[in-house]
Amino acid sequence: MVSLTIDGRQLEVPEGITVLEAAKLAGIEIPTLCYHPRLTPYGGCRLCVVEVERMRTLQPSCTLPVSNGMVVYTNTPKVREARKFILTLLFSERNHYCMYCQMSGGDCELQNAAYGEGMTHWPLPPNWNPYPIDASHKYFVLDHNRCIICRRCVRACGELVGNFTLGVRERGADVMIMADLDVPLGESTCISCGTCVQVCPTGALIDRMSAYRGREKDVQRIKSTCVGCSVGCGIELIVRDNHLLRIEGDWDAPVNGGLLCELGRFRPLYEDRERIVTPLVRMNGRLKAATWEEALHRIAAQLKPLVGRNGDGIAALASTRLPAEALYLFKQLFAEKLGSEMVTSIEEGLPTAVPGAIAQAAGRPLEGGLEALQSTDCVVVIGADLTENHQVAGFFVKRALPNGIRLIVIDPHENGLQRLAHYALRPKKGTDLELLLGILAGVIRLGLAKGEVSSAYDLDRHTPEAASQITGVPIDQILAVSQTIATAQKPVFVYGKGIIGDGSPQALKALLELARLVGALDEERSTVVSTKGQANSLAAYLYGLDRTFEVNGHQAVYLALGDDTPSQRLIQRLQGAPFIAVQASYVSPVTAMADVVLPVTTWVEQEGHYLNLDGRLQKARRGLQPPAEVRSNVEVLEAIAANLEMTLNCSWKEALRARVPIVAIRE
Amino acid sequence: MTKPKIATDWLAGCSGCHMSLLDIDERIVQLAELADIRATPVTDLKEPDESGVDVGILEGAVNLTTNEEVAHRMRRRCKILVALGDCAVFGGVLTMRNFHKLEDALRRAYVEAESVDGDGKIPSSPELGRPTRVRALDEVVDVDVYIPGCPPDPDVIFYALSELLQGRIPELKDEKLHWH
Repeated sequence: MVSLTIDGRQLEVPEGITVLEAAKLAGIEIPTLCYHPRLTPYGGCRLCVVEVERMRTLQPSCTLPVSNGMVVYTNTPKVREARKFILTLLFSERNHYCMYCQMSGGDCELQNAAYGEGMTHWPLPPNWNPYPIDASHKYFVLDHNRCIICRRCVRACGELVGNFTLGVRERGADVMIMADLDVPLGESTCISCGTCVQVCPTGALIDRMSAYRGREKDVQRIKSTCVGCSVGCGIELIVRDNHLLRIEGDWDAPVNGGLLCELGRFRPLYEDRERIVTPLVRMNGRLKAATWEEALHRIAAQLKPLVGRNGDGIAALASTRLPAEALYLFKQLFAEKLGSEMVTSIEEGLPTAVPGAIAQAAGRPLEGGLEALQSTDCVVVIGADLTENHQVAGFFVKRALPNGIRLIVIDPHENGLQRLAHYALRPKKGTDLELLLGILAGVIRLGLAKGEVSSAYDLDRHTPEAASQITGVPIDQILAVSQTIATAQKPVFVYGKGIIGDGSPQALKALLELARLVGALDEERSTVVSTKGQANSLAAYLYGLDRTFEVNGHQAVYLALGDDTPSQRLIQRLQGAPFIAVQASYVSPVTAMADVVLPVTTWVEQEGHYLNLDGRLQKARRGLQPPAEVRSNVEVLEAIAANLEMTLNCSWKEALRARVPIVAIRE
Repeated sequence: MTKPKIATDWLAGCSGCHMSLLDIDERIVQLAELADIRATPVTDLKEPDESGVDVGILEGAVNLTTNEEVAHRMRRRCKILVALGDCAVFGGVLTMRNFHKLEDALRRAYVEAESVDGDGKIPSSPELGRPTRVRALDEVVDVDVYIPGCPPDPDVIFYALSELLQGRIPELKDEKLHWH
């Protein structure tokens, strides 16, 4: 502990923190602009200056570490005069005319700082040189006139997202934020995660969709969970009058710590599929609007004779974007009450069946949490492109690269992480297993294995040389990867559908064996993580919705699609089914094929739980009211059961315990 | 003791600040008790007394040479000059024009605008004065008190004027301080 005095108050604070943080702990407010709690202090704007005894000049408190006996004053006339002067210079540098800025009126940190200092006017006239406006980006606009060069966006892009698109050019008053080597944002390496927009303190980076549609005081913020993929990022829905204006990353969320990707932040706002707002029933070959009673009655009439018919009764399929509550009711209704053998999910267990079976056999979870990526020194990514899907997990990898971690990417296909990897191995298609065995044999040969290799592996046969021959990966690369993984302190393995998609467990077993031999997997802890698939992949697995879907003489198909998009494969498989009922939010080829369509809520109109890829059970909250005739996925399943004179229980949470989870569930 | 004299005038503005001043409603009676309200654009007397007033209030930005004259006249004739509203304080929404060439702005407004009938003509009467770059009031004359806001809230205007008329310089902060 360090003891210091701030504004006459004796404080005991932890060593290594800054004066600004110490003041915050004591409840003393110091105004800031370039400072952001999630970013490395930068000391750029100087607004946080304080007076420190026996220091010749004012000091920026955001970069000044506390030391014993320090005597700090945060609010002397000298400090206040300096703040006002700093703000005066900021306002005079570019066009900060508030009256035509969408941030004015409480949302702009620059304006609020001026209010805080009681500035009724600008003592210096502004600079009338117009700066350019970069409107080339699809989702946001960079108005250099509003920029105060605090570099929060630059730091967020590099430190938090690891993308390093944003930087600065020139010096002094000519300093400008730029993308890459000064290209328009829309043509840059920007991946549209929008973190820069979320951290911008002024109107320099403004979101196109929500601009001028409401200030902070006019909107409602609802904390929820993104259902874009299985990462399960914490989000805030910014809502006004039943309109979703914007989605922001929740800084306090344990999974993502404020980050989001394009899919989570922007895509839902640009949803352009046609909404289904009333039940539809096929009459004389055409879908016609109907009442809920008519639609439910029609479904009940079709399903009733098929109850308990094995093999040619009902086939039922649910989206893994549905909340756990709905997935559980779905499984209960179709598998248990209606006795169908073909009850599964849209993902057909592809991302979960193989690791699930291994976990089941081992009797314990196999995998660990994403937090392992925060303190690793070596990451192996195999069979997953984290720049396409599960992007926030990819950010954790990318942002760790400047810390000196080693990145190994194994993928037969083009993969966005390959160009950043120290070793990008591209084995021939279908040879992942051989490559992993070669790496494993390399670890043994180098004498770096922590423990004995399982007798299941014949290392006389599976040599690095043999692996090189089969996979086409040079032998020196295989051995270098073996050495890199085995000498790492905390290696982390991230795998995706690439190595399990064919349904064979061999490659994953080899990966787990490799992980075990390098100390990444034991009884206590695991730093092996799989990406799963959609938001509720893991819950669907735990409910047993993981078999391959086939329509094979089934008389009726029930599809709980929710707001998901049907794949071509699914559309093909439904061809020729005698009766199709769909609960869906949007018009799609499968709703066009259906005999009955029931309109349901979208992810943002319903409440429910999601089990993310590392086992966190999280709640998604309702942000919007659905259209009048639209019901939630849960209500629809309950209504179907009621029409069949069946009652469903809602013990969805307990039912998650029915199988050994792939990763321990955290509530 | 005679009551302090107060006069107002406007420059390039929308007159919204004067509307906001009238929006103090019945409190205008209290002001009238405190002060001798002299010239304003909304009363009969248009020019501040040559003998001078105590408090002069100007709304609007300086946009024309005629605005400059009005500003200088008020400055000469008042003891305390108040810049009322964002245009007077900062230049206001008019400053958008400063990012374009003056000739382009005039041509757009008087010749090219969709509402122009026939051949548009840029007005050029000497009475109108010559257009200039848009400036805040304090770029032209010294200002003593700033009341920002677009328009300033009537409560803020009332507070500031009653302080001034009782011989104090108003301090605008916290909920009383709003720009835009």
